[in-house]
Amino acid sequence: MRRRVFLSIFGILSCLMVMAEARFPKPDFTSGYEYPNISHGVPMEQFWNVLDIVLLVGMMSLVVWAAYKKRSRAVIYSTSLVSVGYFGFFRSGCVCSVGSLQNVTLALTDSDYHLPWYVLLIFLLPIVFALLFGRVFCSGVCPLGALQELVNVRNFRLSRAVSSALTTIPWIYLAFTILYAATRSQFLVCRLDPFIGIFRLGGDLGMIVFGVILLIMSVFIGRPFCQFLCPYGAVLSVFSSLSWKKMEITQKSCINCALCDKSCPVDAIHQPQSSKTKESRSTGVRRIVLMSILLPLFTIACGILLRQNSDALSRAHKDVYLYELVMAQQNNPDMDECLEVETFNAMGGNIDELKAKVEKVREDYAFYATLAGCLMGFVIGFKLLKWSLKRSRKTYEIDSARCTMCGKCFNYCPQNLTKK
Amino acid sequence: MNMDKDKLKSPMDRRNFLRTCGSLLAGGVALATGGILATKMKGEEGDVFWQIDPFACTQCGRCETDCVLPVSAVKCFHANKVCGYCDLCGGYYRPSVKDLNTAAENQMCPTGAIQRKFVEEPYFEYTIDENLCNGCGKCVKGCTSFGNGSLFLQVQQDLCQQCNECQIARVCPSDAIKRVSYKDAYKLKDHA
Ligand code: SF4
Ligand code: SF4
Ligand code: SF4
Ligand code: SF4
Repeated sequence: MRRRVFLSIFGILSCLMVMAEARFPKPDFTSGYEYPNISHGVPMEQFWNVLDIVLLVGMMSLVVWAAYKKRSRAVIYSTSLVSVGYFGFFRSGCVCSVGSLQNVTLALTDSDYHLPWYVLLIFLLPIVFALLFGRVFCSGVCPLGALQELVNVRNFRLSRAVSSALTTIPWIYLAFTILYAATRSQFLVCRLDPFIGIFRLGGDLGMIVFGVILLIMSVFIGRPFCQFLCPYGAVLSVFSSLSWKKMEITQKSCINCALCDKSCPVDAIHQPQSSKTKESRSTGVRRIVLMSILLPLFTIACGILLRQNSDALSRAHKDVYLYELVMAQQNNPDMDECLEVETFNAMGGNIDELKAKVEKVREDYAFYATLAGCLMGFVIGFKLLKWSLKRSRKTYEIDSARCTMCGKCFNYCPQNLTKK
Repeated sequence: MNMDKDKLKSPMDRRNFLRTCGSLLAGGVALATGGILATKMKGEEGDVFWQIDPFACTQCGRCETDCVLPVSAVKCFHANKVCGYCDLCGGYYRPSVKDLNTAAENQMCPTGAIQRKFVEEPYFEYTIDENLCNGCGKCVKGCTSFGNGSLFLQVQQDLCQQCNECQIARVCPSDAIKRVSYKDAYKLKDHA
């Protein structure tokens, strides 16, 4: 259980405002009765948040050391255990870096929202580490990734084409996450978090079932959530692919034995390939021209597509939903009043005010849906282009965008077995 | 690398150059985002704690059912300084009780969480046993409609998981649940 500090509340002031509405007069006791002091438990916020950040940095540094210096999977595996225990079950997974995407979006778009300092750090630190060393956060620090890592025993591979195509899903998820957070509709990641129910040992049944199915899948496929769903992983993959240092399978030379390729749970090891027909300069130029036309076209097309559907999407916002319910009720007075409408009427809700609010929300939606659509279009276009390019490679290499630095390949590489 | 250096030189250089540019760009983006966000914090405490505005709550009953915890983190609080210490308590007794005895079937609270203690004629003190309360708000409704409104629902902070998005806030029909900062961690009625 949470440690807590008890904040005692000694209320001496009896509030005039409250007294004014009291139906019964304040009793005047003659027996010397004293009002009880009631104390309410308050979580010791600062302490645990500081510990979270310290552990976050500490564990990420440990993984960097394990992956670059010690080259040991055992260390990474142990940090996964700690992460599942501490960040997962003990801290019950909230706030996590994946979810912090939404707080950050909200902070950027809503001036009324104050971003807590530690949420900013939880968001930023893994990105900074990714930019320096790759996805160390995913390796053994993210509780969601660690949980899947711990149960994984086999790697059944999807075909490369299918799995590459599926990696666009996180981006689509990210676009919707941003859309819903920026419009203050809901925190999609939190609602669809498959593992939070497991960490809390309770919660929405549907999500727990989804979580258990994903976990069973993770036994046979490496990290299905990380590979095909996680929006934060998608962000990290960009920074990781541009990282300063890159993890290597072996520090000696690769002998192309192909053993490591089979060991990778997330299909992040590229096979050597040679492009025999070296493309001529003119085809190269033509491709670049095509690229610079197609990519913006794709981006704009998706942006427009989503903008056209923004009114339908806006139904995810509470006010819009309420407005539609109220309107439906007005058009059809025989309908049973649902709780929302009942409350709205009971509180003397003003339909014109609500309408004005809804207009504003719909405007927001039109804007952010366009943005989200553009993001989706750009990413899909970019991925298509990347697949059309074939890089020549002499040895087995890690794709640092996808590598979650589990360290499994270290033990598979025969070059690592011989001591220097 | 050395032997075919000449052949690879130009594409390799170009790729490295592009990559460095990309890294710098990414670093810049990360730095800028961090900077912008840091200014957004303005040294104020962040909004973390979920709190019910007791004056907005309509006791719809969703606090009991929609919390992520098996037994809701929302509990009934009692503002003693607002309470009338009535014998015939609108939060304690069901509206249609025949005789005023404290038998369970006469009590409003389905879990028997409200304890009543005789103070002096004609006053009774009411206390909530938070371990029993499930946040259904039935007593609150009774007290708000017939009494002084001294019973109210509030998120009990040491039970609340501080979900990044409170699942009750999502469905609260009166929009009564908001994020607050540490210094307002409790919105109470006797403090208002
Ligand atoms: S991909 Fe997402 S869920 Fe997986 S380890 Fe990384 S941040 Fe966590
Ligand atoms: S959901 Fe809202 S209105 Fe209903 S009991 Fe909870 S705070 Fe009150
Ligand atoms: S934040 Fe979570 S735990 Fe707290 S009251 Fe809301 S749903 Fe319950
Ligand atoms: S009636 Fe409901 S809200 Fe009131 S004390 Fe009992 S369980 Fe708690």
